[in-house]
Amino acid sequence: MVLSEFAGVSMPDWIDALLRVVFIVALMTINAFALIYLERKILARLQARVGPTRTGPIGTLQSIADALKLVTKEDVRPITADRWAFELAPYMAFVPVFLVFVPIPFTETWFIRDLNLGLLYVFGVLGLNIVGVVMAAWGSDNKYALLGGVRAAAQAISYEIPMLLIIVAVVMVAAGRLAVDGDASMAGSINAIVGDQTTTPYILLQPLGFVIFMIGALAELHRPPFDMPIAESEVVGGYFVEYSGMRWGLFFLAEYTALFLMVMLASSIFLGGWNWPFGADVGLGLQIVLTLVKTSVMIVLVIGSRALFPRLRIDQLMAFSWKVLLPFAIVQVIANGIILAYGGADWVVGLVSFALLAALFGLIYQLMRQRKGEGARTVSTTPATPRVITAPDVTPVEAGGD
Amino acid sequence: MEDGVTATQVVFWILAVVMLVSAIGVVTAGNIVYAALFFIAALAGVAGIYLILTVEFIALVQLLVYGSAVVILILFALMLTRARERPQALFGRSRPLGIAAALGLLAMLIGAIVATTWSTPETSAAIQPVGLQAIGDAIFTIWIVPFIIVGVLLSIALDGAIMLASPDEDDN
Repeated sequence: MVLSEFAGVSMPDWIDALLRVVFIVALMTINAFALIYLERKILARLQARVGPTRTGPIGTLQSIADALKLVTKEDVRPITADRWAFELAPYMAFVPVFLVFVPIPFTETWFIRDLNLGLLYVFGVLGLNIVGVVMAAWGSDNKYALLGGVRAAAQAISYEIPMLLIIVAVVMVAAGRLAVDGDASMAGSINAIVGDQTTTPYILLQPLGFVIFMIGALAELHRPPFDMPIAESEVVGGYFVEYSGMRWGLFFLAEYTALFLMVMLASSIFLGGWNWPFGADVGLGLQIVLTLVKTSVMIVLVIGSRALFPRLRIDQLMAFSWKVLLPFAIVQVIANGIILAYGGADWVVGLVSFALLAALFGLIYQLMRQRKGEGARTVSTTPATPRVITAPDVTPVEAGGD
Repeated sequence: MEDGVTATQVVFWILAVVMLVSAIGVVTAGNIVYAALFFIAALAGVAGIYLILTVEFIALVQLLVYGSAVVILILFALMLTRARERPQALFGRSRPLGIAAALGLLAMLIGAIVATTWSTPETSAAIQPVGLQAIGDAIFTIWIVPFIIVGVLLSIALDGAIMLASPDEDDN
């Protein structure tokens, strides 16, 4: 459908399928090149530097130079590493990310295949990526790799749960809206969800969902402030510390592709993907531009967050997922269920979600205020409590400071 | 069949071989992490079989649930055993019991397979894909009581695990 329509010719199914695969591989490579360059430039600007300038015009060929270096580099395998786990891990981390492209809509008609269970598919397949990470961590026979891998596994599994619950909440809203002017059974399809956002992007209906989704995405992608699995100062690069050359490159290709995918998913589900904002339809020709503009803005925000937020500690991260995000996600699902069961209007759904979001921000603010006294591990919230009394209660903090 | 081998059959046989090889790998691999990795290959094969049977929902849930579960299994294997130092510690004193249990299960499965009246392609109608909504309706109306019981059971297990894992207040 995609390419045969694009080229204006009909072709056999297998050539069409092959072309789609080639298209996705090319997209992944170009995307990784572009994102690495972009990340270096944005971070440099945020740190009052200029970033790469020498290779090509304003440094645009820097990623090509990096890739050339990677493919010509010696591929080292530590002598004590487990051969099979070590060598297969990069592919196991990379292939699931590649497969996730199937249900992602670039425009109304540009996708590999519109799956009825698209959202479930994305999370089911993307979750397999962590198997590759754990294989790399264990196979490297390196203490820091193992620590990073265990952190990555704990983090991925913890944040998957609030994300999936929030997707359930979004699908509930989508099913309610699609039942009016469409087929409610298509509510799991990403393209149907995007198609429903012609007038109202879901970020207005489920703002809490958007925030939890993005926090979860940052954690799943090991992006700062949740980059404990790959933190240089703590685990020396984490699970791929022993990798070099193109195997290391595959891990990075997987990371940047996953970044693009997650952000594109967020912009599809919550920002209306290929729709013009608020129903101002100007024609089909610009759909791909709209998708990419929304995605790009989100990518710049994600990359910028790397320079803006300090890294969390692993126990803070886990506590945040299980004690803050998960209860809020559950409350959102229950609230949506009650409102939709009693036929509440869209604005009621949006208002309740906004209220929950305000409560979440209030709680985070409260937690951060408490953290300032964290050094002494006092739980005193009343400012009147004298510091001197609490000082003997000092317990050693397990992990080091930030 | 006269019309030769269909694509579905080719896929089925590939999946069957993958599943069998990895299932044998799970029990024969000396290394416990290898066993877990073979396990996920076998489960992925099962997901593929579900796809052939056009129950995509169960296939995806299979991947989603077992993908995470196997990772946790590997972590347990790494943290609770000495997988690195003593990789060959799989055969213990309970070996006869294990063999007996395996044979019992085999007998039960063979009995079930023999007792089933299998439909042939001539007698069976075309497979009707079961919609997600039908599954949801069934779970939340007809089967709501077992569903709630399972939920409560899992909550109890989770609470128990948290109680066991949480450090004693007095020990600090």
